[in-house]
Amino acid sequence: MRRKKIQASGIVNAPLETKSQVKARQDNLGSVAEGRLRTYDPSADNVRKFLDLLAAKITRPLVVSLTACVHCGMCAESCHYFLVRPDDPTMTPVYKADQIRRIFKRHLDWTGRVIPWWVHARRPKDDEDLNRLKNIVFGTCSACRRCTLNCPMGVDTALLVRFTRGLLTELGIVPEGVFNVSRDQWETGNQMAVTEADYLETLEWMKEEVQVELGIADVDIPVDKPDCDFLYTINPREIKFDPRSIANAAKVFHFAGESWTLPRWGWDQTNFGLYSGDDALGGYVARNVYEAAERLRAGRIVISECGHGYRSTRWEGYNWAGFDQKIPTESVVVTLERYLQEGRIKVDPSRNPEPVTFHDSCNIARSGGLVEEPRRVLKKVCADFREMVPNRTENYCCTGGGGLLSMVEYRPLRLEVARIKADQLRATGAKLVCTMCHNCIDGLTDVIKHYKLDLRVVQVLDLVSKALVVPSGEMAARS
Amino acid sequence: MGSGRGSVPADILLADLGLVPRLCYNIFSFPSKGIYCEAEVIIQLSWIMSDTLKLFENELQIGALLFLTIVYTIRIIWLLRFKAREERTHAEGSASRGVGYSLMNIAMPWAMESTRRKPGFYAQFVIFHLGVAAAIAATFIIPYAPRLFEIRAVVRVFQGSMGAAFIVGIFRFARRLRTPALRLVSTADDYISLLLMILFFAAGVMAVPNTPWKSEWPLIFFFGLTAFFLVYVPFSKIGHYLYYPFARYFLGKTLGHRGVMPRQRRLIRDGTEDGQGSRSWH
Repeated sequence: MRRKKIQASGIVNAPLETKSQVKARQDNLGSVAEGRLRTYDPSADNVRKFLDLLAAKITRPLVVSLTACVHCGMCAESCHYFLVRPDDPTMTPVYKADQIRRIFKRHLDWTGRVIPWWVHARRPKDDEDLNRLKNIVFGTCSACRRCTLNCPMGVDTALLVRFTRGLLTELGIVPEGVFNVSRDQWETGNQMAVTEADYLETLEWMKEEVQVELGIADVDIPVDKPDCDFLYTINPREIKFDPRSIANAAKVFHFAGESWTLPRWGWDQTNFGLYSGDDALGGYVARNVYEAAERLRAGRIVISECGHGYRSTRWEGYNWAGFDQKIPTESVVVTLERYLQEGRIKVDPSRNPEPVTFHDSCNIARSGGLVEEPRRVLKKVCADFREMVPNRTENYCCTGGGGLLSMVEYRPLRLEVARIKADQLRATGAKLVCTMCHNCIDGLTDVIKHYKLDLRVVQVLDLVSKALVVPSGEMAARS
Repeated sequence: MGSGRGSVPADILLADLGLVPRLCYNIFSFPSKGIYCEAEVIIQLSWIMSDTLKLFENELQIGALLFLTIVYTIRIIWLLRFKAREERTHAEGSASRGVGYSLMNIAMPWAMESTRRKPGFYAQFVIFHLGVAAAIAATFIIPYAPRLFEIRAVVRVFQGSMGAAFIVGIFRFARRLRTPALRLVSTADDYISLLLMILFFAAGVMAVPNTPWKSEWPLIFFFGLTAFFLVYVPFSKIGHYLYYPFARYFLGKTLGHRGVMPRQRRLIRDGTEDGQGSRSWH
C-alpha cells in the first residue's frame, strides 16, 4: 500500500515569546501581582502543574468528549484547515483534540494509565512539549465548532481546545498576543485598553456627528442613565476604530423611540476569556456588564454586533461569573428585528441596491443559535440578498476566530487556510459581505485583501441605518 | 443412518421428552450407538452439546456479562464523579428537545454535512452496526431461543448482516491504514478492536446455523470470542457506545438550550432563495 507523505505545518515549532510577560512582571501590574494574570516561570515544574490543573478543572462534558472519540475521521473534512491542507494530517480536528486526549488518558483514564502504548497515552515531557501543545490549540484551530456539529459521536472538539488553552493560560504558555489582550482586559476592563476619557469623548463626538447628520438636536448617546429599557454594550473596537457603528445605533434607537443607555463601566461585551480559556477572566468581564445593568436597573442587556461578545455575554458569561441571569440579554440584531416587526422604524431596501451576502459568525450561529434573525432583517433592508454556500450553522469561519487575529505568529497559516472562505465569498458574486461580528469584519477584511476579492465588509446596523426612512415628523422638525 | 430424514436413538428421545429448551428436527442425522428410528423427533439440543460448549454458551457468558456490568457501573460512577456544568442562563430553545435531536442525530444522515456528503460512509456505518447488533443478538438467541435459527431465512438474514459487516470491517481497516490522517491518530486499540470485530463477524456467520452435531468449534469459537469481548470491551474503543448517549446528551442539552438544536431551519446548498432550492433540508 502506497503511503502519502505527511506534510506537516511548521507552526508547531513557533517559540514561546515572553517579552510582554517579563515587562508586565517588571511593571508590577496589579493583575500579575494578584495572580489573576499568570506569567510563564521557566524554573517551575510546569508539566506537573499542567497535570494538576487538568485533574482539578476537568468537567463531565469534557471527560465524555475525551473518551467518546472513535478516531473515525469524519470531522476532518469539516475543518477549513484540513480542507486547504489535505496532505497535512496534523490539521484534522481529531489530531488536535488527541493532543489533550492522550494526556488525559495517561493521567486520568484507566487503560492509558496501565498500558499507555495501547491508546497513544502520553504525558508532556517538558515545557517544549507544552509549547508545541500551545501552538496546536492556539495556532491551528479557530474553535469554530464546525467539527463538533459534524461528529457522529457528539465530541465537542472546540470545547476541548478551549479547555487546553485555559490550562496553558494558567502557566503563561500562551501566544504573546493572547497575553497582551488578556492583560489589557484584566487591567482596564476592556480588551483594547480604552481609557474612560477616550470612551466618553468618542461617545460625545459620535453624538455630535449624528446630530449634525440628521439635523436633530435631541439625538442622544446617554451614559449611565438609570431605569432605561436597555443597557447597550459594545466592542472596544467600536470606540477605537469604528465609532460609526455607535452613531448608527444611536440613530436607529432614536427613531425607534428607544430608552437606552451605555454604562460608564462595564460597557465591554467582548471577552477574551472565551479565547484564552480563562474562565476567571471571562467571569470578571461578564460580571462587569451584568452588574452595570443591575446598577442602572436596565430592563435588558443589548449586545452590539460581535460574535464572541454575544456568545460570552449571552451564554457563557453567566456561567463563568456564577451569576444567575435575571434580565433578557439579546443581540442588537434581535432588537432591530423587533423594531421592524413592530413598525417602530421604517426602511427602504432600495437604498441598499448592491448584492449582499451574509457571513454567519461561528460564535453566533453554532454556539449562539442566531441564524434566521439577521437574515430576516437583511431581507427587509437590502434589495439583493443572496446566501453563500454553505450557510447558517454550516458556514465556514472567517478564519480569524478563536482570537487568531491577535496571534501574529499564526497569520501565514491563517491566511493560507482562508482560501476556503475566499472561494465561498467569490462564488456569491456579492459586492457586500455582511456580518454581525467585529472580529469577523477584521477576519474577512484580511481574506478580501489577501485574495484580492471585490468585496466590502459591512454590518447589519450599517445597512439598517442606510435604509432607514426618516419619519415625516422628524423631517418637518428639521426643516 | 437414514437417508433423507434423520435418525436418532429412541432412548435419547425418551430421556429428553418434555424438557426445555427443545428443538424439533425432521431432517436429522446423528451417528450413535443403539436403536435408530426414522421419524420426526423432539430432542433437547443440550444433550448433544459437549460440556465445554455448554460452559461457553452459558456460565462463561453470564460471568463475562456480569463482569461487563460491574465494570460499566464503575465506569459510569467514575464519569459522574467529574463535576457537571451548571447552566445559569434563560433558555432560547429547549434542552430536552435538543437532547432528543442530538441522540437521534445518528439516524438522520441529512442532519450533518459529514454524513450528507459521504452517503457511502454512512451506509458502511449502518451495515457495520447492524452486523454488530446481529452478532450480539445471536449470542442470546443460540442459547435461549435456538428455535429461531431453525428457520433458514432467519439464519440467512443474520449471516447476511454479519457477512456484510465483515466486508465493511475489512474496508474500514484498509481505510485506516491507507488514509494518512487516520493512520496518524490510530492506536493499537483502534486496529486490534477493528480486527477483533472482523473476526467476530466471521465467527458469527459460522455460528448462527447452530449445528453442534456437525461441529462444535464454530460455536465454541464464537462464544469464546463473545466472552472475551465482554471482558475486553470496557477497556477498548469498542466501549464507545457507553459514552455515545452521554456525549450526545451534553451536546444536545447545551445547544438545545441555546436554540441551536434541533435545527429546524432550512439549509440551502445551491444558493438560491430560501425555499426555492432544488436540494434543501429541513
